[in-house]
Amino acid sequence: MSNDTVTITTGSPRSSISAKRRVTRRPGVFVLALLVTLLYLVPIYWMIVTSFKQSDAIFAKPPSLLPVPPTIEPFISVLANENLLQGLLNTFVIAVGTTILALLLAVPAAYALARVNVPFISVILFVFLAVQMIPAVNLALPMYMLFSKLGLVNTYAGLIIANASLAVPLAITIMRPYFLSLPNEVIEAAKTDGCNSFTAFLRIALPISVPGIVTMGTISFMGAWGEFVFGLSLATDVQMQPATVVLAGMTSQFGVRWNDLMAASTIVALPVLAIFVFLQRYVVSGLTEGATKG
Amino acid sequence: MSTRAENRAAAAHHKVAAARRFPNEALLLVPAVIFVVATVVYPLLYNISQSFFDIGIAEIVSGAGKWVGFENYADQLQRPEFWAALGISVSYTAATVVLSVIVALLLAQLFQLNIPGRDYMRALILLAWIIPTVISANVWRWLLDGSYGLLNGMLRMFGIIDGDVFWLGEPVTAFIAVVAASVWTFAPLGMILLTAGLQSIPHSLYEAAMVDGASRWQRFLNITVPALKPVLYTTAFLLFIYTFKTFDTIFLMTGGGPGGATKILPVYAYEQAFIFFKFGKAAVATTILLVIPTVLSILYFHSIKKEERS
Repeated sequence: MSNDTVTITTGSPRSSISAKRRVTRRPGVFVLALLVTLLYLVPIYWMIVTSFKQSDAIFAKPPSLLPVPPTIEPFISVLANENLLQGLLNTFVIAVGTTILALLLAVPAAYALARVNVPFISVILFVFLAVQMIPAVNLALPMYMLFSKLGLVNTYAGLIIANASLAVPLAITIMRPYFLSLPNEVIEAAKTDGCNSFTAFLRIALPISVPGIVTMGTISFMGAWGEFVFGLSLATDVQMQPATVVLAGMTSQFGVRWNDLMAASTIVALPVLAIFVFLQRYVVSGLTEGATKG
Repeated sequence: MSTRAENRAAAAHHKVAAARRFPNEALLLVPAVIFVVATVVYPLLYNISQSFFDIGIAEIVSGAGKWVGFENYADQLQRPEFWAALGISVSYTAATVVLSVIVALLLAQLFQLNIPGRDYMRALILLAWIIPTVISANVWRWLLDGSYGLLNGMLRMFGIIDGDVFWLGEPVTAFIAVVAASVWTFAPLGMILLTAGLQSIPHSLYEAAMVDGASRWQRFLNITVPALKPVLYTTAFLLFIYTFKTFDTIFLMTGGGPGGATKILPVYAYEQAFIFFKFGKAAVATTILLVIPTVLSILYFHSIKKEERS
């Protein structure tokens, strides 16, 4: 399946033509859709609104739907929190490391799985797909035992390896369709012109598949950015914890300062939201490819 | 000149032939296979092996624990808490998957209508799936806060409740709350998958049905549902996998409480290992945790193959 047929923004030509044909333009339907969308966004709206509220406004009954007067105090207060800043730095290092590792391992593997046809391929494909069904706890537990022996607990290397263990199979699942859609003749022509298998991969297949690589990188990065279980179990030292674990620590204390917590949540969510806004096309195709292809 | 070109062509031909005999592209697969074997397959097997040992925090540091055979299994299978966690996992997963698929289908159908700005609306709804679950779990806790939460504020305004209701403090409402938060997260993914499915149904089918005077409901039942069945099937399976894997949402909203009412198997296994430091017993829980998705995915792939054959 090509990239374009699964993006929600473009749709297939057939459906857009037929959509025009059955223009309803009933205001009732539009209002209903708008209400459903707004209702769905209430939690995200409430997170952002709360993060701009003053501390006494948090305890207002009934709660006010707008932050009046708005304040950036919660943001100032959480940005002074060294644990959160360290957590954001850790998350960044882990997410970038995971993405690079996933890229280096998954792109060549997806290419091989798309081009080579030998009997054990279906077994490998099944393993890569099945791996994605494993709950993170199932890996976190043995990894903690193994990493304790190897000295990898509380290290970036350990956290990157743990994240990549689930990111690599998913990335392969996302990348393979891009290489499958690559015509065989293109590669064979390159080989006739003097490329070997590896230079054909590097010079011909890779440049053509940049959209797939962007999709794959985006999904890997977003996954690692929001990861929690590995961070919780493999980073016992506060200095090494990712931002998600630091956030969780802020909630388990008594007397949660909700405006601070929501400000911190907004900050942690911001990169993911930004990536989604700017790379939406890639994210959506990654979700559908990763989900339905194997 | 010509001989050089001929040589080159011959060499290239030879290379192509060699590539057919031995696909050296297969070498590109090796690093990923080694990595996945080392970081997934080996740890899983190691985990199973450790379920036969008595391992506490001291044994993790010192080395191997004491071989106890099936003692850990006997211990776990006798525990009501273990069976409770398994039961809650199953009911939580069933409720979440069924409701998510229904909500996803309603959303997908709604946005199939020609509504101005529907692409933006779909994208905005997808934010619920994109946002890290650690964050949405925090936000849901705050929305449901007994004293100052938005939900209770609204309910008080409409006179439905009086005073404070601690939704996450009561077993039944806490269970409903974690299911609601999970459905909110998973339904947008279902919506995207079902939208792709709906868009692939030829519009001519609907036009023919309309000519025949079929009502909207009849068209939905007789065209949409049968045509969408494979996609619905895949969506439900995928949502099952994601839901059964859930950890963050429940761990952060309720911690498995109150009184174990939302303690799903992954949270139970985590507690055994990282709260009580019973790693051998936790390994039993996670090993059993693998059985259900494994069986279901084998059934799923089996039925897909059967469908492809027919």
